[in-house]
Amino acid sequence: MGFSHRLAVGVADSLARILGLPPSRSLRTPATAETNAAGTAMPTFSEPGGEPVRLTHVQHPDGRLSSYPPPERWEDWTEWDSKAWPTRVARRYTLVPTICFNCEAACGLLAYVDKTTLEVRKFEGNPVHPGSRGRNCAKGPATHNQTYDPERILYPLKRVGRRGEGRWRRATWEEALDEISAKMRDSRQRRRDGIMYHVGRPGEDHYTNRCITAWGVDGHNSHTNVCSAAARTGYALWSGFDRPSPDYANARCILLISSHLETGHYFNPHAQRILEGKKAGAKLIVMDPRLSNTASKADTWLPTWPGSETTVLLAIARHLLVTGQIHREFLRRWVDWRGFLQHAPRVISDPEVLQHVRGSTFEDFERALVALYRDFTFERAAAESQVDEARIREAAEAVARAGDRLAAHVWRAASIGNRGGWQVARAMFLLNVLTGSVGTRGGTSGADWNKHVPRPFSSPPPNEAWSDLQLPPEWPLAHFEMSFLLPHLLADGGSVDVYFTRVYNPVWTNPDGFMWVEALQDEAKFGCTVALTPTWNETAWFADWVLPMGHAGERHDLMSQETHSGQWVGFRQPVRRVAMERAGRKVRYTWEANPGEVWEEAEFWVELSWRMDPDGSLGIRRWFESPARPGEPISQDEYWSYIFENSIPGLPEAARAEGLTPLQYMRRYGCFEVKREVLTPYEQAAAGEVGVDGLVRAGGQVVGVEVDGAPKVGFATPSRRLELLSTTLVDWGWAERDYAVPWPLESHVSPRHIDRARGEMLLLPNFRLPTLIHTRSANAKWLYEISHHNPAWLHPSDAARLGVETGDLVRVDTEIGWFVDRVWVTEGIKPGVLAVSHHLGRWRLADGEGGNRFSTAHAELLDEGDGRRGLRLRGGAAAYPSVDPDTSRVWWENVGVHQNLTHAVHPDPVSGAHCWLQRAVGVRRATAEERYGEVHVDTRRSMEVYRAWRALTRSAVDHSPDGTRRPYWLRRPLKPTKAAYRLPGREDG
Amino acid sequence: MNLGFVIDTTACIGCHACSTACKSENEVPLGVNRTWVKSVEVGRFPDVRRSFQVTRCNHCANPPCVAICPTGAMHQRPDGIVDFASDACIGCKGCTQACPYDAIHMEPESHTAAKCNFCAHRVDVGLEPACVVVCPAHAILAGDLDDPASEVAQAVARRDVSVRRPEQGTAPKLFYVDGHAPSLHPTAAGHGRSFSAAEVRAPTAVVEAPQAQGLPAGGPIAAAMIRVSYGAQHDVQWHWPIPAYLITKHLAGGGFFFLAVAALVGRVPAAAMTWGGLFGLVMTFVTLGLLVYDLDRPDRFLYLLTRPQWRSWIARAAWLLTAFTALAVAWWTVELVAPASALRPLFAALVAPVALLTSIYSAFLLAQAEGRDLWQSAHLPVLMTAQGVALGAAPFALLPGPFGEVAQTTFGVGLLVSLLVTLVGDLGVPHATDSARRALVLMTRGPWAREYWLGGIFTGHLLPLGLLAAGLPGPALAAAAVGLFFQAHALVMAPQAVPNS
Repeated sequence: MGFSHRLAVGVADSLARILGLPPSRSLRTPATAETNAAGTAMPTFSEPGGEPVRLTHVQHPDGRLSSYPPPERWEDWTEWDSKAWPTRVARRYTLVPTICFNCEAACGLLAYVDKTTLEVRKFEGNPVHPGSRGRNCAKGPATHNQTYDPERILYPLKRVGRRGEGRWRRATWEEALDEISAKMRDSRQRRRDGIMYHVGRPGEDHYTNRCITAWGVDGHNSHTNVCSAAARTGYALWSGFDRPSPDYANARCILLISSHLETGHYFNPHAQRILEGKKAGAKLIVMDPRLSNTASKADTWLPTWPGSETTVLLAIARHLLVTGQIHREFLRRWVDWRGFLQHAPRVISDPEVLQHVRGSTFEDFERALVALYRDFTFERAAAESQVDEARIREAAEAVARAGDRLAAHVWRAASIGNRGGWQVARAMFLLNVLTGSVGTRGGTSGADWNKHVPRPFSSPPPNEAWSDLQLPPEWPLAHFEMSFLLPHLLADGGSVDVYFTRVYNPVWTNPDGFMWVEALQDEAKFGCTVALTPTWNETAWFADWVLPMGHAGERHDLMSQETHSGQWVGFRQPVRRVAMERAGRKVRYTWEANPGEVWEEAEFWVELSWRMDPDGSLGIRRWFESPARPGEPISQDEYWSYIFENSIPGLPEAARAEGLTPLQYMRRYGCFEVKREVLTPYEQAAAGEVGVDGLVRAGGQVVGVEVDGAPKVGFATPSRRLELLSTTLVDWGWAERDYAVPWPLESHVSPRHIDRARGEMLLLPNFRLPTLIHTRSANAKWLYEISHHNPAWLHPSDAARLGVETGDLVRVDTEIGWFVDRVWVTEGIKPGVLAVSHHLGRWRLADGEGGNRFSTAHAELLDEGDGRRGLRLRGGAAAYPSVDPDTSRVWWENVGVHQNLTHAVHPDPVSGAHCWLQRAVGVRRATAEERYGEVHVDTRRSMEVYRAWRALTRSAVDHSPDGTRRPYWLRRPLKPTKAAYRLPGREDG
Repeated sequence: MNLGFVIDTTACIGCHACSTACKSENEVPLGVNRTWVKSVEVGRFPDVRRSFQVTRCNHCANPPCVAICPTGAMHQRPDGIVDFASDACIGCKGCTQACPYDAIHMEPESHTAAKCNFCAHRVDVGLEPACVVVCPAHAILAGDLDDPASEVAQAVARRDVSVRRPEQGTAPKLFYVDGHAPSLHPTAAGHGRSFSAAEVRAPTAVVEAPQAQGLPAGGPIAAAMIRVSYGAQHDVQWHWPIPAYLITKHLAGGGFFFLAVAALVGRVPAAAMTWGGLFGLVMTFVTLGLLVYDLDRPDRFLYLLTRPQWRSWIARAAWLLTAFTALAVAWWTVELVAPASALRPLFAALVAPVALLTSIYSAFLLAQAEGRDLWQSAHLPVLMTAQGVALGAAPFALLPGPFGEVAQTTFGVGLLVSLLVTLVGDLGVPHATDSARRALVLMTRGPWAREYWLGGIFTGHLLPLGLLAAGLPGPALAAAAVGLFFQAHALVMAPQAVPNS
C-alpha cells in the first residue's frame, strides 16, 4: 500500500472513529455463506454474533486457564477472533479431530472449522490423543499452510507432450480412474510384478497394503532402505521385532543414537517423554558427530567418528560384563545362550572364547561373553571414536546405574550412515539385553508391543509372486525392498507397467537422483507413472498423471504408533467433510468436500480396484465390495465402522458409555487408547504343545518357548529367544564372527578411507531439522521462514585450513560428482566432518510451476552427454503475488543445495540399507565460475559404484541354505506365499 | 490477577512449535514475529552447547511501550497483559523504539504495531496462550504470578530465574528458568552472515568484536565462539524523516523563539517579522508534513489530538506543535495586519516558551525510548536547545544591521555550545550502558562515522563557524542545516542498529 493510498483509504476510518461511529472493518469482510477457498483464496470466517463461554466459569472456576475447549463443547465452540482483537468479534467453529500427516508420529490435531463458511481457521493439538497429548511440533500448526497453499494441485493432471516436459492438462477423476485401471488390468492379466506402489511415508497402517494384496501382485515398494533398514535388520536379528519402542518417561538412562529431541520417529511424542524422564533424573547420552539440538541437551555427548559407534557400545557392554553389572537372570532366561554355545565354534576361532564354549552351562556362556568382548576397552573405543575416554566411561557408568531401566534407540543416524550400520543397532540392543531392560518399565520394548493394527472386514490371501525389482537375490536379508536401486536394477533389465509414487519423491530424496531422472523418462522402463501427492515435487514432474491427494485434514487413515508403553489408534479425517456431515449434508466422495477436487487414497483405491476388475473375473473386486450392499463398492463409513466395532478392543464399550456408535466416537475424538502400559509381553504364557526342542507349537506354528518349565510367548525369532549369535546370518553366508554376533564392521567412511591429510572429509548428509520433514513440508511458509537453506557445517579448524568463513562458497567433490554450497562455521561439528542437512535444496524446472516458489529454486537440468548431468539454479526463492498476501513478503532467497544428486548409492551387503555417509574426496573454496547450488554428476560413475557395492553381497543364489530367496521368518511388508520364496530352478526351497 | 510467563530453558528443545502456533493463532504475516526461538552456540568442540531462548514481549510491569504510545493503543490491562489495539494505532513506531527487547514490530498488513499479547483473546475465554498449549516440552508456562499455588508462581519461587535486561527498569514478567547469559544479553553476539538454516537479512553492524556477556573475557573459551544460530530479524523503523523533522523543527521553533525574545527585549525589523516569520511558518508546516508522512497510518494523524495519552511525549509533542502552530500563525497574521501592535508583547511572551519547547521536546521524546540507551543521554536537551537557538537565529543572520549581527552572534554561539555539548556529551562522559556505548561506537567509528564527523562536526559546526567568521551567513546557514541533519541522522540511526534481542 502506497503512502497516498493508505492516506486515502484510512480517512473514513479515522473520521468514523472521531465521530464515534463503528469502524469499518475493511481488513476482512464477514462471510455469510459456505466457501471452499483452499488453493484459490485465503479463508474467510463468519460473524455469528453471540459470546463465547468462559472456561474459567465452566471448567476451572478457580481461575486457572485451560489448554483446550472441553470435548463436550467441540461440536459448537465460539471464541474471539484474534485479528479483530481487542474488538470482540465472535467466531463459531465445529472442532474436528484428525491426525497430522507430516512425519510418521501421527500426532493428534484438532481442526477449527467455521460453522458457516466451513473453512479451516487453524489446527491445534488433540488433547485426548494418548501419543501427542495435545501438543505438537512446529509442523502441526503449519498444516494450515499446506491446506491453504496457493500453489497446491487442485485437480487431476494429465501429461501433455513428452514425459518431463512439464506440460499438463486438467483431467477428471473419471478419466484418470478409467485409464489407470485399464493399464493395471492389462498388466495384471499378463504378469504379477508389473504394478508397483512406491510409498514414502505410509501415514496409515494397513489399508493400502490390503489393496495391493487384493491386486495379487508383488507390488509394494517402500522407502525403508533409505531410512531405517539397517536398524531394523539389527533389531530383527536379535528379537524378531524390527523397531525399538523405548519407555523414556520411566527410564534411568536414555541412550540415543538419534536426535529425538528434534526429529525422527516419533519426535514430538518421544521428546515429551525424554524430557519427562530427564526431569525425573534420567541421564541422557547422545552419540552424534554433530551437535544436534538433542546432543546439546545431553548429559553426555559422544561425538564419535562415524562408524565407531559399535565399538563404543561394545566398550560399554564390556564395562557391564567385567564389572558384573548385568541382569544375569534375564540373560539366563531369555538369551539363546545354548544356541550360542552350540554354534560359536562355527564362527569364532579365538581360543580364549572357545575354551568356555566347550561347556554347556550358563556360567560357561557368561565367561565366553566376557572373553569375546574383552578387547573392547575404553581406551580402544576412545581411539577409534576420537572421543575423550572419560566421556565414554561416564556414559558406561550411567548405563550401568540404570539397572533394567535403559531406554535406548537408534533408527537412522549411524545405522543408516555406515556400511555395517546394522551392527550398531545390534550392539545397542546388547546393552538392553545385558541390563535386562527389555520390555521393562523404563526399558526398551519392541514396536509391535506398543502398536495396535486392527483387522479389516476381510483380508485377501498373500500374493504368489516375487519381483526381483523389489528384493533381488543379492540381498536376501534386506529390510526391505531395494527401493533406491530401482533405476540401477532397471538399467540391467526389467520394467514396470504402472508405477505409483505416493508421498514419495525419489528423484529428490534418494541418492543418485539423475539415475531416476534418466529412468523415469524412459517409457520402456516405466510404462505409466502416477504421482499421488498433495503438492508438487521433483518426481511428479516426470509423471504421466499427477493426482492430488489430501493433506492431514483431507483424508481417512487409521494409524497407530509405538510412541510409548501403551497402545492407541488414531483416526485421520477429512475435516471439512465431517463438518458438512455434522451439518446434515450428504457427501458421496471426499473430493466433493476437499479443496478443488483433491481426493484421498482410501476412496481412490476402492474405485480404482473396482474398475480394474469390472466383472470380478480377476478376483479383485470382491475385496472392495460392501458386505451390506452386494454389488456396490464399500464406503468409508462401512469400512471404518467394521473395524471400530470389531477390531479395536474396548472401543465399542467406550462408545456405548457415551451413547455413540464406535464410528461416531472416533469421528468425535479422533483416537482411542487400547492399552495404557505394556510390560514384558514375552513373559506371557503360551498355549500349545512343548516339543523336545523346547519350542511351543500350536496348529503347526511355533507360538512360544519353554522357560524354566513354563511355556512362554517369547520373541519372534527362530529360537523364540533373543539371539546373540544369529544362526540366520551363519546359514545365509555370513558365518564369520564379525557378522554372526554384535561386532564392529569397518565402515566405508572409517578413518582408513578418509585421507584427511589429502584434504578428504566425511560428508554427513543425513541430519534433519526440527521444522521440516523431507520434501513434504516444503509447502508450509511458516516452516520455510524459519529454515530455508542447508549450509555446510565446518569446524573452525577445517574452515581455517580451507580459508573460508561463514557465507563463503565451497565445492564438495563426491565419488560421482560435486556440488557448491555455502559454509556455516561452527564448533558444533567434529573436525574432519562436513555436515549438510538433506532437508533442503528443492528445485522446480519451470518458473511458476512444479514447486512452491518460496521453497524451491528455479533450476535447469543439464545433459552434457555420456551420462554427465547437472543442475544449475536460475534463481532462488522470491516474493510473488498470489491469493496469499504472504507470498509477496517472502524475504529469503537461498533455498539450499540438492546434494543427494551427488551421492553414490551404497547398498549395505547385509541390510540393503543405503549407507548415507559419503566420502568428500575434495573440499575446497569455490572458484568464481562455480555457483551456489550447482551440481554435476557422472552417472557412468554412479553405475560403477553401484556395481562395486553389489559385488560385496552374498547372493541367495550362492548362499541360500534351503533354495529360498529369503529366510521366511524375517519380515516383509507384504509377505507372499511360501511358494513364492523358492528361487527359480531350485527345488529344495 | 497478574499474568506472566515462565520459560524453562532446561526443557526447551528449540523446535519452533511456539513460533508457528503463534503465527497460526494470530495470523502473523511472514517477515515479522511475535515470538521466536533465539539460539546461541557457545564453547569449543567438544565442549560446546546450543541454548534456546523463547523470546518475546515480557509483559513488563512497567512497560515503556505503553508510556510512549501517543494514543493508548498500546495498553496494560488490569490482569497485567500488555495488549494493543490496532485500530487505535497511528503507526508512529515509538513503541518499537521504547521496547528494549525488540518485541514489537509493524504489521505489514495493517501498518500498525503488534507483538505478543498473551493471546488476550484466548485468556478472556479461559484458554492458555497458543504457544503454551502447543509446546511439546511444556517449557512455556503462563499463569497468575499473584496466585502462590500457580505453576508460574511456584517456578519463580523455587527455581533460578532471570529476566532479560533488568537494568532497563521495566520489571519484565517473563522469567527464564536457568537463563543463559549469552542469550539473555543481546549484545553478547550479533547476527553474522548466516544462521545455521536461515539467511540473515542484515548482519549486525559490528565495529569492535562484542564483549562476551556472561562468559569470561579473553582466553580460548571466549575467543572460540558465541554464535547466534537463529534469531528473529527486525526492520529499522525510523529513517531520514525523523532527523529531517528535527532540523525543520529547529528552524521553525528556534526561529520564532528568536523573534519572540527579540520582540520582548528589543526592536524587530519588519522584514524579520514578515519574511523570517514566513520562513518559520513554512518550516512549521514542513515539520508537520514530515511528522504525518512518517506515520505508518497517516490517515489517523488526528488521533494524536483526539485521543492523547498524556504520559507520551509524542502526544505532548503533537499538542505542543499544534499550540505552537496556532500561536505562530496568529501572531504572524496579526503582525501582517497590524505590525508591532499592542498585542506583540503578549504574543511574544506566549510564543517564546512554546517555541523553545517545540524545538527541544524531541530530546525528551527520544529519552522516552527505553530501547535506545544513547538517546537517553542527559546532554541531549542542552544540545537540542543550543541547536534550536543556533538554527533559529541563523536565517535572521542574513539581515543587515544590528539585528542581523545579534542573530549572527547567537547563531555562532549556539553552534559553539552545540559543538562543545556534542563532544563532551558524546565523547567526554562515559555512557552508562553497554547498548549506549555500542551505539556510540557505531556512530562515531562505525557505519555512521562519516555522517557524524564530516557531516555533523565539520559541516554542521566548524564550517559554518568559519563561514560566519568570513562574513558569509547564508552559506553558513546552509552548511549548518545540512551538517546538523547528518549529525541527527547518525544519532537516530546508530542506536537502532544495536540489537535488543
